[in-house]
Amino acid sequence: MSSSGSNLVASSSFTTFPDEQSQKQDMCPICKTDRYLSPDMRFLINPECYHKMCESCVDRIYSLGPAPCPYPGCGKTLRKNKFKLQVFDDVLVEKEIDIRGRVLAIYNKRELDFADLQHFNAYLEEVESIIDKLMNNVDLEETERMISEYKATNSKAISQNNQSREKEFEDFKKREQMEKDVKLKKVQLEKQIEEEERELNEMARKEILSKLATSQDANQIISQVKASVLKKTSARRRQLKEMMKSLSASPQASDESSKKRTTPFTPFNGDRVTKKTYHLKESYYDPFIEDLRGRKEYIASGFKTEIVYERILSEAFLGLGCFIDRERPVA
Amino acid sequence: MPPLYTKSKKVGEGTYAVVYLGHHTATQRPIAIKEIKAGQFKDGLDMSAIREMKYLQELRHLNIIELVDVFSSQEGDLNLVLEYLPADLEMLIKDRSILFSPGDIKSWLLMTLRGVHHCHRNHILHRDLKPNNLLLSPQGELKLADFGLARSLTSPNELLTHNVVTRWYRAPELLFESRHYTEAVDLWAVGVIFAELMLRVPYLPGRDDLDQIDVTFQALGTPTEENWSNVSSLPNYNDLKIYPEPTRSELRKRFIGATEAALDLMCGLLCLNPANRWDTERALLSGYFKESPDPTVPVDLPKLSKKE
Repeated sequence: MSSSGSNLVASSSFTTFPDEQSQKQDMCPICKTDRYLSPDMRFLINPECYHKMCESCVDRIYSLGPAPCPYPGCGKTLRKNKFKLQVFDDVLVEKEIDIRGRVLAIYNKRELDFADLQHFNAYLEEVESIIDKLMNNVDLEETERMISEYKATNSKAISQNNQSREKEFEDFKKREQMEKDVKLKKVQLEKQIEEEERELNEMARKEILSKLATSQDANQIISQVKASVLKKTSARRRQLKEMMKSLSASPQASDESSKKRTTPFTPFNGDRVTKKTYHLKESYYDPFIEDLRGRKEYIASGFKTEIVYERILSEAFLGLGCFIDRERPVA
Repeated sequence: MPPLYTKSKKVGEGTYAVVYLGHHTATQRPIAIKEIKAGQFKDGLDMSAIREMKYLQELRHLNIIELVDVFSSQEGDLNLVLEYLPADLEMLIKDRSILFSPGDIKSWLLMTLRGVHHCHRNHILHRDLKPNNLLLSPQGELKLADFGLARSLTSPNELLTHNVVTRWYRAPELLFESRHYTEAVDLWAVGVIFAELMLRVPYLPGRDDLDQIDVTFQALGTPTEENWSNVSSLPNYNDLKIYPEPTRSELRKRFIGATEAALDLMCGLLCLNPANRWDTERALLSGYFKESPDPTVPVDLPKLSKKE
């Protein structure tokens, strides 16, 4: 089943021959300049008709003012200042993005502006149908008239909405920047700590060596130096932890206050047995199990006698306090 | 008398069973019928069929597949009636059109751990946890399935087979052919699944059993006597390439979207030494589940985009 799925993906991605496509893309259809010969050639398009041509063609044709599109049969009059860089490979996508940008700058109401979801959905539907009409050149004049009418009657609300939207975008940018800063700081701190630790270790090594040269009691010196190093590093770690806490606390605080859970989250889904029916003692007399405690293979496998005792006890009491009649689903 | 269940179409075939889609006649509830091929085995039923039946009968939990009924047909075939779960986690991971949010991953991991926790508190090892065996209900709930390799823990001197768990999800003590492993093997598998959910590709894909050892330790460091006492006494501990343990910043780079708490949990589950590996309770109490974002509500989890 999975192999047929992957075949499907593979075949769909090769519907157009890559060579042919790239060749077309790399030559200006007007002056036939090839990218091979002028590698810094750029293509521009005009939202009037979306026919693409290279930068030098645009300069050549439109420097002296508006002129018709050089594509045969197009005939649209283009202006130089409207030319722009093509962002998307697909011209249709480019066109739709432009139309969308224009329409949504005018039809910029939001869900909050409506009494209920139904009205909002109706509004969205209307906006989409306008975009669709512009996209497919249906009732062009009629729609354009509708848009300008709407713009005239709602001009105040439109500018207000646009302003608030811009402000929101700015806030978003700010927040993003803040998060970036926090992350950068954290990485720097960690690097610093790592470096300091390395230095400290090196220092400790040297200290041990120099002290050993003068004194006899090796073990004592080593343990002394080690203890002092440990003290220093653990203090550093604590510092880092506190810093991280304060750093991570700031962006999250605003986050959590905005939304609230309806029910408290419980990791065990409310199904955790905390009250055991038995009490586990420190040790039991069981030569058979105690014997396993010392075996290397058991230790290496994660075997612990407490767990075995715990299991035996738990199994002994399993099911006590369970009533089958209550758990049986109602037929 | 009309039949209690109807079989409609065959949906899959395994080595020892055929799975049919069916309905409970009275309630029209969709069910899956797993028909065990009898007669193929000389000494009665296949072991995994018996295991599956034995343990599923004992376990009732929201995150474990429900065994509705068991019956035998006239030909002597054994039929397990299971709850019908149309998708599994592997399908979702492979479906590139679906994006996982951090909350989705948290929710799946949470449900997996809840299911495993229920098995372990009943002293049952699943021993075959992998995305393919984590089934998803139409309501988005994740359920452990395929208890064909499950067993309960019995006397500690009994030998366990080390040849369990699908290779990529096999814990290091199993790779070393330990015969006395514990619940920790399941938690290792959960850790690998967690990593896979974040990466969207298998985390430790060994080509064969030998390569698996290499891949595992390349990613997580070779265990030594220092961080795993007595590891060298395990049968298969020899000829190891020594890889250093990954540093925290290396892990951060590998798992870009992961928070610190998520990495803590993952490292706890992927702890080489089974004695220090986190158990289900510790994992469920991890800070990862408490921090924002909240785990996604099961109904809102991503579903398979379309059915073929």
